[in-house]
Amino acid sequence: MADIVGQLEQARNLAFSNREMFPQVLRQVFPLAGNADLTIQRWCSQFFKDAFRASSDKLDPAAKIDLAIDAVDTLLLLMQVPDHEVVKNTIDASVVVFRLVYRYVADNDGSNGIWAKLQQLKAHIAGKYLTTWPLDAADTNEADMRRNIEINLELLKFVMLVIDYQLRSPTQPGFFSLSKVNPNHTLMKPQQLEAEAHKLLEKVLQVLEWDILVTPVVTATLTQLAFVAHRKPQFITRVFKTVENFDLASKYQSNYESVEEFKLSRKYTDRSIRIFLSHTLKYQLVPPNYQQVANKKVSQVVSRGDEVRRRDILAIEDPSITKRKFEGFENGTKRLQNLDYKSLYCLTDPNNELNSFDLTTLPPNILVSMTIAALNKALPERLAKGLDIICLRYNSALQGATGSEVKKLELDDEDDNMENFSSDTVFTLPPPQALNFAEKKEHLSLIIQNFFSLADQKIPEVNDKQDTGAQLTQIAIKTWKKDSWYVLLTRLATRGMRAAPGEGIDVEKEQELADMVRQAIFDYFLANIHSRIDIVIEWLNEEWYAEKVFNEGKALQKMAQENNGVVTEEMRIEVDFLTTPTPIYEKWSSKVLDSMISFIEPGDRKIFIRLLSDLPYLTDEMVSRIKSLCYDPGRAKIGFLSLQFLVMYRPPVKSACLNVLKELAEGDQDDLKEEATKLLEKYS
Amino acid sequence: MAIDSLKICTVCASNNNRSMESHKQLKDAGYDVKSFGTGSAVRLPGPLIDRPNVYEFGTPYEDIYNDLMSQEAHKMYESNGLIHMLNRNRHVKRAPEKWHANAYAGKFDLVITCEERCFDSVIDDLMYRLVNKEDADTEVKQVVHVVNVDIKDDNENAFIGAKGIVKLVTMIHEFKERAKEKRKNGSFEDESELLLEDNMMRILTEWQREHTHLQTLYGVAYY
Repeated sequence: MADIVGQLEQARNLAFSNREMFPQVLRQVFPLAGNADLTIQRWCSQFFKDAFRASSDKLDPAAKIDLAIDAVDTLLLLMQVPDHEVVKNTIDASVVVFRLVYRYVADNDGSNGIWAKLQQLKAHIAGKYLTTWPLDAADTNEADMRRNIEINLELLKFVMLVIDYQLRSPTQPGFFSLSKVNPNHTLMKPQQLEAEAHKLLEKVLQVLEWDILVTPVVTATLTQLAFVAHRKPQFITRVFKTVENFDLASKYQSNYESVEEFKLSRKYTDRSIRIFLSHTLKYQLVPPNYQQVANKKVSQVVSRGDEVRRRDILAIEDPSITKRKFEGFENGTKRLQNLDYKSLYCLTDPNNELNSFDLTTLPPNILVSMTIAALNKALPERLAKGLDIICLRYNSALQGATGSEVKKLELDDEDDNMENFSSDTVFTLPPPQALNFAEKKEHLSLIIQNFFSLADQKIPEVNDKQDTGAQLTQIAIKTWKKDSWYVLLTRLATRGMRAAPGEGIDVEKEQELADMVRQAIFDYFLANIHSRIDIVIEWLNEEWYAEKVFNEGKALQKMAQENNGVVTEEMRIEVDFLTTPTPIYEKWSSKVLDSMISFIEPGDRKIFIRLLSDLPYLTDEMVSRIKSLCYDPGRAKIGFLSLQFLVMYRPPVKSACLNVLKELAEGDQDDLKEEATKLLEKYS
Repeated sequence: MAIDSLKICTVCASNNNRSMESHKQLKDAGYDVKSFGTGSAVRLPGPLIDRPNVYEFGTPYEDIYNDLMSQEAHKMYESNGLIHMLNRNRHVKRAPEKWHANAYAGKFDLVITCEERCFDSVIDDLMYRLVNKEDADTEVKQVVHVVNVDIKDDNENAFIGAKGIVKLVTMIHEFKERAKEKRKNGSFEDESELLLEDNMMRILTEWQREHTHLQTLYGVAYY
């Protein structure tokens, strides 16, 4: 689409920069207006508007007349596009086209085809004045009077042009009007044209006669009536009659406006009347029999205006204001608020108590007679409008549910739908959309929260005695126990979210998610290291085991790949002897160890040694961290005790412990030296 | 310009105080704005109440400034704010411009007058422009919203009034922005909600509720 518009833009630039090419470009764009795409339709309407408004140095005026004649069909087509932007531009283009073609026909009697088309365009555009096109109609006329003001203000321009061209003006050089058309023209019959223009003028005056005030349209009309007063003196009496009868006291407040808005509207239209009258008096356009009326009306509106001039108009109480009788439905919304039948059919105020009355409690015979009585009473027009609303709600709900596909369903004919219905049709819901990373994170943190809330729940003790041998081959959780939640949670982090690189898998992101769980467990542990040491030990054991198995698996797979995918027993043995790296385990156990070392008190000896003894694997680096404990006079005892414990019970780290002791023995703190030397002598 | 601005102009009698203060504030807020006066000439206070300083439209603010400074009463002009006003004006634009001869400035979408007389004068003039000459074939009239915000002609009120005008203009533009957004998202029930013309009265009412000290007039015209 961007391509096409880009090409069109190029064509447009060419047209505006090359006077000779302009007509050709414009002619080539005409058929594009028939394109069903709104972007293109909008572009075309804008281009036509600009092209017909182009000055003579851009586009040859003689060529423009020919183009205008050819444009009529296209403009007629664009007027039918239900889009305000297209309609607005098309009206503007039509203003120029109408002038040119109308005058062309006036000069060229016998242009039957051209005249017929122009008449068609004129009738179509003028016929839209004071309608809601291109908007849909609302459920009341009153609402529609106040809607689509934007387009109606545009249409008024076109209507006034038609009135100007189809009525005679007093002979003034330069101004075109019916007076300049040959009275014996075979196509342009003055009587017919005048009658038509007169009818349009009646329509223009109509807005002043409405029982509500639509200020933008009323004030716009008054400025246009000044034009009529200047140009069409034969109609001035008709105009003044309407202006004279324009009485604010007889206007109602619309149901679609606040009382404040109505107060302002009265003030604003009053001023417009005053300006209109002053203007016509100034230019001596007021017919003699209306002089008095005009002067009286001016002094009336002037005094009314002066009265409120310096006052806060909104605060002035006016008990005479009455609302127009409401023809609509209290609940006329066309979008279904809730997906239930009650909201679908409810046209009364949703807060009305009556709506909660359960009609099914009534006996059927009473229900039937009630329904018949109600249907008899209902005005057909109102009933139809009510049904229209319900239909629209139904449609909007369908569209909201399954996207644009349903739009094509025609719901006009209910019977038709019944015929099309087949119980064999299988409906499938669209597959759920995959979560994005941010959503995954959000959900994971929710899951983690839920797990921790399980920690606080009281679970009755379950006695499930089993012999240890059998347990190894059994599933981890058979019945939900007090500690089951962290078994699941640790396994979620260590196994559930560990991913091998593969298609569509971002290892780093998976790792980030798993780290969210780890961090949560770690934070949980920190909140109470004394009672939660079991949890942390269980987790780190899981962590080490899972990482080792996973990395061994990876190593095995790599070997197998080099051996055409076959795994041999030798390979398994070889892998067993490999030192498989466990970086994740090391990272988190170091973190746990660090935090323990900074938190423990002299009395926490037991839990610290417990941690050291139960961690599945200790690196030299981890052991060396104990050194810092030994430097702290208050906790040196724990430090040495742990080193001694490790030397005695964890032979794999014995040498690492001895290294630490050596370092201490060679240090410069005498008390440490003494203790370290003592232990070194004993164990090395 | 960051704002997708309507073409706006402000209008008072002499295009010096009220329309210029609003011009400045709207310009500072980023709007596309010009300003004009509807008086027959630029009238500024003189040494005595019956001896105003009168200049033709088009006389640069700079010249007016120098003229006032050269007068005997220049101390008085300094104390009554006249000098300050002209000093501001000459930094906003060159010279006061007359509404009735502003065809060169193009058409505006929104005209804001600062006095009821100016409002009348603008609409009356627009009515006259509809008929004073035959439309060129290329001419297509355009809708213009004319709003009057009544402001007393002194320094302080000009400032307060201009603030109110900026607020109104901002509300109108915010409405347009929201409408654009709603149209994009399809989040509207009735398209009429998105059209400025359909909602102009509602916006004015809302603004008036918060600015009870500034009285308004409004009308739609064409030119």
